[in-house]
Amino acid sequence: MIEFKRVSKRYESHDALRDISLTIDTGEMAFITGHSGAGKSTLLRLLLLLDRPSSGELSVNQRPTSAIKRRGIAAYRRNFGIVFQDHQLLFDRSVFDNVALPLVIAGFGRRDVNRRARAALDKVGLLDREGANPASLSGGEQQRVGIARAVVARPRILIADEPTGNLDPDLSAEIMELFRAFNRVGVTVLIASHDLALISRMRHRIITLHEGRLIEGEGR
Amino acid sequence: MSAQAKGLGAGPRSRFNSWLHHHRQSAYESLNKQLLTPISTLLTWLVLGISLALPATVLVALDNIDRLTAGVDRSTQFSLFLQADTEEAAAEDFVADLAQRSDVATATLIPADRALQEFAADTGLSAVVATLDDNPLPHTVVVRPIAMGAAALADLAAVFDRMPEVSQVVLDTRWIKRLISALEFGRRLTYAIGAMMLVGALLALANTIRLEIEARRAEIVVIKLIGASDGFARRPFLYTGLWYGIGGGVIASGLVFGLLWLLAPPVNELLRLYDSDKVLMGLGAIGALQLVLIGGAVGLMSAWQATAVHLRRVEPR
Ligand SMILES: Nc1ncnc2c1ncn2[C@@H]1O[C@H](COP(=O)(O)OP(=O)(O)O)[C@@H](O)[C@H]1O
Ligand SMILES: [Mg+2]
Repeated sequence: MIEFKRVSKRYESHDALRDISLTIDTGEMAFITGHSGAGKSTLLRLLLLLDRPSSGELSVNQRPTSAIKRRGIAAYRRNFGIVFQDHQLLFDRSVFDNVALPLVIAGFGRRDVNRRARAALDKVGLLDREGANPASLSGGEQQRVGIARAVVARPRILIADEPTGNLDPDLSAEIMELFRAFNRVGVTVLIASHDLALISRMRHRIITLHEGRLIEGEGR
Repeated sequence: MSAQAKGLGAGPRSRFNSWLHHHRQSAYESLNKQLLTPISTLLTWLVLGISLALPATVLVALDNIDRLTAGVDRSTQFSLFLQADTEEAAAEDFVADLAQRSDVATATLIPADRALQEFAADTGLSAVVATLDDNPLPHTVVVRPIAMGAAALADLAAVFDRMPEVSQVVLDTRWIKRLISALEFGRRLTYAIGAMMLVGALLALANTIRLEIEARRAEIVVIKLIGASDGFARRPFLYTGLWYGIGGGVIASGLVFGLLWLLAPPVNELLRLYDSDKVLMGLGAIGALQLVLIGGAVGLMSAWQATAVHLRRVEPR
């Protein structure tokens, strides 16, 4: 369970998030939407401890994140799978090695790494491209590799910031279906997207931000 | 399967194995990267190699001077003044023990009485001496060591000085004393200059590693984002530093061997003309190994320094 309690984030004189209270249940799938600059990315960055709230408390599974010091951040982040708008793949290694990276970081043995990375690539339909360089793939394929990398270590929470921002509508719908499939097997999914047309079709909770305030979908 | 289902990751055994595996992989990949850019790698190796080779060559030369002068002067001897209250019988036992030592050629006792007589005879002060109630002179032992280098003579003097029977040690040959001081000075100067050169090389290496951190910034950001610890992100760079250091040490050994190989024929010819059966001594396998180890340590320290300062700054935003 993810819980924001009266969280604000201030950048110099600018309030990126104002007094956000929000609960996302384990196993839920929810979208965060709002205009550009509304604070969607800031919300996710606070959740990943890429930044700290200016005030308020943020807890994950009843554990306040303010108690997590610098040394604990790496282990904390391993609870999450993260998908980026620009996929953030490493072009100096193969698709397989990109996908395997979280497993290597988490300390899985070589056999587990091979098995799980292949399974993740299979789920996103790219098993036949495991030896390719990600630079040689199309935008949609690169994003699918990014998703495979995000889910390969079986995180409990999947976070995506504008995962379809660079894709055409068909590919976007396909990617969203993929997220849904992971949600169906119990993964909590939280996606920031300003593509209202796409997300309103999906019948999941939509959390709307406006100028840093939560105006809709705060949950319980 | 149960641990996997709970999403807890790998068990401790597999965790250790994969930690080991990541070490091996980091070691292999950083070495491979260096060998893929042979020219720039060679230049980096040379920076450290030269900084190590110059002081090492000077130290080898000093050792040779020390060794080659051993026993040149057969008159080298120590005078050991014994404690004032030593009985003559005890002094004789002590001399007998000294003579048994493998590094002592001869040891001769000059009893205090005889010393006083000789003193009176030598100085012409027998009238003065006759007025003395007590003999102010101690028993003295004259020790002639076997042939040995100046540094070994200094060590032997220290050994004598520590003996409870001995109150004072005098090394009678001035030029040996001067040589000992000169060699010691040369050695310390070489250590000081060598240390400075190594610090310079360490900073240059640290800068090279800083540049590699910059070049891999995107990769570091991504792996930290997906949960890599600082240690994990640091590992490849530590191996990079280690390989630079070991490479530098190997180059240094090669340079010292090369220099001595060039010097050996004329020096050995000179020694032969002086009827010496000695030859120029090289670095030796142990010396070469020491250079490689020192190089590795310097490389590792430079990587440690560079990552401590610069890797922290590469944080996902
Ligand atoms: N590091 C930062 N420094 C200053 N202002 C920032 C920073 N990050 C975000 N902001 C500001 O906070 C507001 C919210 O940004 P963001 O969360 O990225 O919006 P969104 O993702 O909804 O487009 C914006 O006005 C942005 O300019
Ligand atoms: Mg954004």
